Amino acid sequence: MPKRRDILAIVLIVLPWTLLITVWHQSAITPLLATRKDDSRDSRSNSRNTFALKESCSMQNRDIVEVVRTEYVYSRPPPWSDVLPTIHVVTPTYSRPVQKAELTRLANTFLHVPNLHWILVEDSQRRTALVSRLLQDTGLNYTHLNVETPRNYKVRGDTRDPRIPRGTMQRNLALRWLRETFSVNSSQPGIVYFADDDNTYSLELFEEMRSTRKVSVWPVAFVGGLRYESPKVNTLGKVYGWKTVFDPHRPFAIDMAGFAVNLRLILYKPQAYFKLRGVKGGYQESSLLKELVTLNDLEPKAANCTKVLVWHTRTEKPVLVNEGKKGFTDSNVEI
Amino acid sequence: MKSVFFSRFFILLPWVLIVIIMIDIDTKRTVRAPAAGRTGRAQQRGARTGAPGGNQNQSALPVIYAITPTYTRPVQKAELTRLAHAFRQVPRFHWIVVEDSTARTELVARFLARCGVPYTHLHVFTPRRFKRAGMPRATEQRNVALAWLRQHRTARDAGVVFFADDDNTYSLELFEEMRSTRGVSVWPVGFVGGRAYERPLVSGGKVVGWYTGWRPDRPFATDMAGFAVNLRVILGNPRAQFKRRGSQPGMQESDFLKQITKVTELEPKANNCTRVLVWHTRTEKPHLGNEPKHRKDNVVIEV
Repeated sequence: MPKRRDILAIVLIVLPWTLLITVWHQSAITPLLATRKDDSRDSRSNSRNTFALKESCSMQNRDIVEVVRTEYVYSRPPPWSDVLPTIHVVTPTYSRPVQKAELTRLANTFLHVPNLHWILVEDSQRRTALVSRLLQDTGLNYTHLNVETPRNYKVRGDTRDPRIPRGTMQRNLALRWLRETFSVNSSQPGIVYFADDDNTYSLELFEEMRSTRKVSVWPVAFVGGLRYESPKVNTLGKVYGWKTVFDPHRPFAIDMAGFAVNLRLILYKPQAYFKLRGVKGGYQESSLLKELVTLNDLEPKAANCTKVLVWHTRTEKPVLVNEGKKGFTDSNVEI
Repeated sequence: MKSVFFSRFFILLPWVLIVIIMIDIDTKRTVRAPAAGRTGRAQQRGARTGAPGGNQNQSALPVIYAITPTYTRPVQKAELTRLAHAFRQVPRFHWIVVEDSTARTELVARFLARCGVPYTHLHVFTPRRFKRAGMPRATEQRNVALAWLRQHRTARDAGVVFFADDDNTYSLELFEEMRSTRGVSVWPVGFVGGRAYERPLVSGGKVVGWYTGWRPDRPFATDMAGFAVNLRVILGNPRAQFKRRGSQPGMQESDFLKQITKVTELEPKANNCTRVLVWHTRTEKPHLGNEPKHRKDNVVIEV
């Protein structure tokens, strides 16, 4: 039948050309991609050179392998979007053996979050090299601050002694920095979140908090001696209480990791800070929140506070008995 | 006659071009392969089933297999979440999660489905009598993962096997260091051996000793997180297992490694073992003293 032969002929002609076009398209794009990524890596910090590929003799094509290595040692955070509100994450930190490990884990999480600005505040006299280098290497958008909590206030003495809870001065410094950097009239939307360096955050959490209008709240795991603490939400979607065992009558019975504040609210109320002295255990969060909102204004997130998206994990102090009094290991090796 | 000839010619022309291009691509891929012994045929197979983005460089990288034993406890989901965040950024990665349970749990199954990393979910139950203090842990789980690899991978697959416990902390650099493992590679680990770090001593590019605060007489004084093994070595030693009987505490790694390699063959990574890229962190047991004996809440929430 002539018709069948025609169809066969047409297929035989069209098929190879479509295949050719797709193959040509593919092979034209990939060398472009490789060179483009290579260029953007040139502007990286010098520390990259310390782990340059030395075993080049084992790889046949050195250039290709170099490109791949620099591309994946630290992935880039997602591209900045003009539409999403920025999440300003305030993390107080202090030097101790596990500090670098904790910050590395945090960075691994934050690298997945678009439009994230990490405000890391060290409890130290000077910004340490360890933290500076780590922040540079991650490629995250960050601000590195420091303020030292005065010695006599850190020591745990008599319970009647006015102690500054850990991290307070650092968080207040971050709030002050935000107020100095952003003006009330600026239209840049932002959310402020206090993220301690030993907790665990899911990626969903950041997307939940992005829609905060004033202050949003959600459950936190492993606080207050419970599997999780959470706000009580009524059928109208309003917070009316707190599901906790430890002092549920606090004005805001919530953990530092359980709420986020819209940046505009922080800027509108420039007097709102964490109270430094005379704060009972568990009341730190209330000391800030009561200056910002009332219970009625709270926005419950995480499916009306029924999902746990953040865990108040704590890292054990590592056993370092074999270091002895003077320290055994080489102090130049950074851990 | 001429028209027939022309039409035949134009029909054949694109096919000839395709054949030429295929041959060209084939030779290009074999040139770019790392010297891990990959054959041309394996390249093509890897390229067709692997990289969906068509990036040729990616399909040449060996796959990193991370074996993570895990068990149910309150912080399990948090630990796995943190791990997933690190692993998601490593290209060519395969996560083998082995639960210490009689059946796959819902929590882990649901978690893995959304973790964003290619994974294999296995399980094997360790009897209670093996869970006493001082006994080696996660032995059965790691062995089950090794058995899976031996069953589902052949010598033509390029890969590196690594034991990633769920409470440790891994930097992204570590994975790039271990990817070039040809036999067995080692590096320093933070917070083990009662010291800030434990590390192999390297001289002339070879491991000559061990720097540790605990039992330096061990043949391989390293932690589970301190070494990686090329997949071919695992497949080439089909009887190498983690031992339970007759194994002393802290000797798990040594007992395993001495079945597959010698100290002189170890490859030092992390700048001749002078940088710490993995930390043996441990997460505190959370205080759950205020939990009621019987569930009092009106909803069931997974933590």
